[in-house]
Amino acid sequence: MGLIENAERPNFILTTIDTLLRWGRSHSLWWCNAGSACCSLEFAAMGGARYDMDRIGSGLVRASPRQSDVLLIPGPITKKMAPIFVRVYNQMPDPKWVIAMGSCAISGGAFRESYSMTRGADTVLPVDVYVPGCPVRPEALFYGLLKLRARVRGTSNIGLAHREPIYVPPDLPPEWEAEVREFLGEHEAC
Amino acid sequence: MIEDHPRVGRLQKDAVTESIVLNMGPQHPSMHGVFHMQLELSGETILAARPVIGYLHRGIEKLAEHRTYAQCMVLVDRLDYISQYCNEWAYCRAIERLARIEVPERAEWLRTMYAELVRVTSHLMWFGSVGLDLGGWTPVIYAFIPRERIFDFFEATTGSRLMPNYLRFGGVKEDVDPAEMEALHAYLAKDLIDALDEFDGLVTGNEIFLSRQRGLAPMTVDQAHAWGVTGPMLRACGSTRDLRIDTPYGVYDRLDWESCTDTRGDALARYSVRMREMRESAKMALQCIERMPAGEVRTKVARVLRPPEGEVYVRHESTRGELGFHIVSDGSPKPYRFRVRSPAFMNVSSLPHLCAGAKISEFFAIFGGIDNVMAEIDR
Amino acid sequence: MNARIFLTQLLGALGLIVILGFNVIIMDWWERKLVGHIHRRPGPMHTGWHGILQPFADMLKMLSKEDIVPDRADRLFFWLGPAVAVVPAFMALAVLPLAPGFALADIGNGLFFVFAMQTIMPFGYTLIGWSGHNKWSLVGALRSAAQLISYEIPMLIVALGILLAAGSARLTDIVNAQSTVWYAVKQPIGLLIFFITAVAEMNRSPFDMPEAESELVAGIHTEYAGMKFGLVMMAEYTAMLVGSWMIVLLFLGGWHLWPLPPSPVWLVLKLYLVQSGIIWLRGTYLRLRVDTMMEMSWKYLIPASLANLMLVGVLATTFKGF
Repeated sequence: MGLIENAERPNFILTTIDTLLRWGRSHSLWWCNAGSACCSLEFAAMGGARYDMDRIGSGLVRASPRQSDVLLIPGPITKKMAPIFVRVYNQMPDPKWVIAMGSCAISGGAFRESYSMTRGADTVLPVDVYVPGCPVRPEALFYGLLKLRARVRGTSNIGLAHREPIYVPPDLPPEWEAEVREFLGEHEAC
Repeated sequence: MIEDHPRVGRLQKDAVTESIVLNMGPQHPSMHGVFHMQLELSGETILAARPVIGYLHRGIEKLAEHRTYAQCMVLVDRLDYISQYCNEWAYCRAIERLARIEVPERAEWLRTMYAELVRVTSHLMWFGSVGLDLGGWTPVIYAFIPRERIFDFFEATTGSRLMPNYLRFGGVKEDVDPAEMEALHAYLAKDLIDALDEFDGLVTGNEIFLSRQRGLAPMTVDQAHAWGVTGPMLRACGSTRDLRIDTPYGVYDRLDWESCTDTRGDALARYSVRMREMRESAKMALQCIERMPAGEVRTKVARVLRPPEGEVYVRHESTRGELGFHIVSDGSPKPYRFRVRSPAFMNVSSLPHLCAGAKISEFFAIFGGIDNVMAEIDR
Repeated sequence: MNARIFLTQLLGALGLIVILGFNVIIMDWWERKLVGHIHRRPGPMHTGWHGILQPFADMLKMLSKEDIVPDRADRLFFWLGPAVAVVPAFMALAVLPLAPGFALADIGNGLFFVFAMQTIMPFGYTLIGWSGHNKWSLVGALRSAAQLISYEIPMLIVALGILLAAGSARLTDIVNAQSTVWYAVKQPIGLLIFFITAVAEMNRSPFDMPEAESELVAGIHTEYAGMKFGLVMMAEYTAMLVGSWMIVLLFLGGWHLWPLPPSPVWLVLKLYLVQSGIIWLRGTYLRLRVDTMMEMSWKYLIPASLANLMLVGVLATTFKGF
């Protein structure tokens, strides 16, 4: 909604619409499934009958990134997988958020010194919520989700376009390009 | 005349069909992790399938060379993250054989009990993912309910739902609260069996499911041996190879159970073997709880273990097949070479052969039966 | 043209849009709650009382998402596809009566009009899948077209049986012919076949090839973001409404509930019962494989529906007032 993001001075109508939209978005955060490792099991458990993330409206895990709001990164981002995550993030429509779940996604975790790992998701993507744990308990992820909802609900979108935009370049840092090209071989990624 | 019409004639003569290459990309909405498959399709038929792995390669084997043997346990947990106790047990057996460490009796019983419980949870997870591949979310949600209950037991006794880090060289970390075991015994004896019967009613008896699995992707025992397939997939072809019986470890030779096999070798056979294995594992866990002797649970072992020089290869019947640990020691506290023979890796390598000529929809039915874990394949 | 007629028709059309909107809102909420309870969990609870405001939250969110059109997608069909899927279902609503005299256009061949509209919907789904410039959507679109076309035939043949029994294609007459005994009692096989084919026409599980099986990889609406995706969802719920309404009118007696006095309330009740049954199917059954699905239609349902038609014909000629 360019009208709200480009507004210089909010008036009553814009603030009301902004409040409504923030309410709507916070109660309907749909996930994008890019699950990789152990933490995705706990994410699945959170969707299960005991923890039930659908209770707060976030129960839909959409297959296509085009229909989702939150990119969950459960588990380690390897250098081979990093361009895939970036591509998925770029395919998601605004407004979008990223949750880094688990110590592998936050900082590389138990595999930090490995040759094939990135040192955390925030080296390739802008992360909104970091949820620590190895693996993250479903309650902890639920708490992280509630914190994200609070941020979505509380951050006004008025004048957002005038703030520093977050731009994720589609290419990786050059020193990884060569390595990743070698891993990927001659076929296209994804 | 229609043959004189220039455009139609040209269309018919120059019409060329080619196969398309589809990427079943590393990001996809089933519970199989980051698995990338390149399918060459002609219409709906798969001409060739090429799996691309490595998206979850964390360099565990290399990292292990820089950790002491006890610190490697953390890495071992995260190999096949659905059946952690099997990984830990295989690793402990390898080090215990290398360093000639004795394990007390009660610890063997405890290890067996935990391994069978984790087999139940792993097969429940598999059941959920089969349901997700073929239908919707209902089997997943239903399968997670007994999983949660067993995880409660894991958490109360070892401290963690997943990644327990519970087994130690020479036994297990600590003893188990008898009240927890009683509660689990009551659960396994009745509620779990009721839940499994409900799953049978929901999925196994469903005609849609049966028609999708019956006769699909048959595999013979010779093919399985050639491709290195082990575990429930092999037992579904008619082979009786089960490392718990062939080379018994733990207390398997003292329990009353039988290995589940099937002769048909198709997707339905693989499904049926795993469903029956769940019941057998629950039975075994019950017997372990009932017959466990009292005693110590851990042999005293040096804090920083320096096994003598040498190498060992230990074979273990994990939930997916033969899990092998090849450890080479050079007398130092850190392993010289740490190699994992991953069962899921071998099982997945049979996938291109199994799905050649199948349709796209059948691909998922076949894939569900393979029950792979990308973390183990990529390490 | 008479201004009064024009105004009443316009108000009626607006009223239908309102009904459509209400249905989407109620069904979105009801589906999540019912599927949740089938899964032994509560479903949306915190968005208003028991999640009753959840559809509004979803709608607000979808309205405010960035509208992405892929670079190489066909812009016209990308925009047109969901419209071609929604508009026929919406037009079919125009002839469906709520009570005698309560239809926007109770035309003499209402039955055929609804089926004619239903025949246009495969175009919509094919356009949706084709325009996204995505191989997986294309596969889904072709499957969807095949499915929708092959399941129309048994549906029409069964409806012919109803036509034979009622003697008129006007939907009000068909319902009034069921004032004492429903056609569900007189033609149970017809009801079964019609129910199966109606679920297939709605692209609902267990026939949800286009929307979900490819969900394992993608789906025909992969490339649709924001409100366009909302429109696709609206198409699905509207198709569900039309299909269930037809089942209620043709087989379940519409507004009759003998011996109670006829009233639109019974129709609405039955409508939502049928839709709940369809949601229940979704939560329980697995998906059919594509060729099994086609096989079921061509090899089993068409012969069964022809046999049903012959049976109805025989019974209608032997027994007066059948």
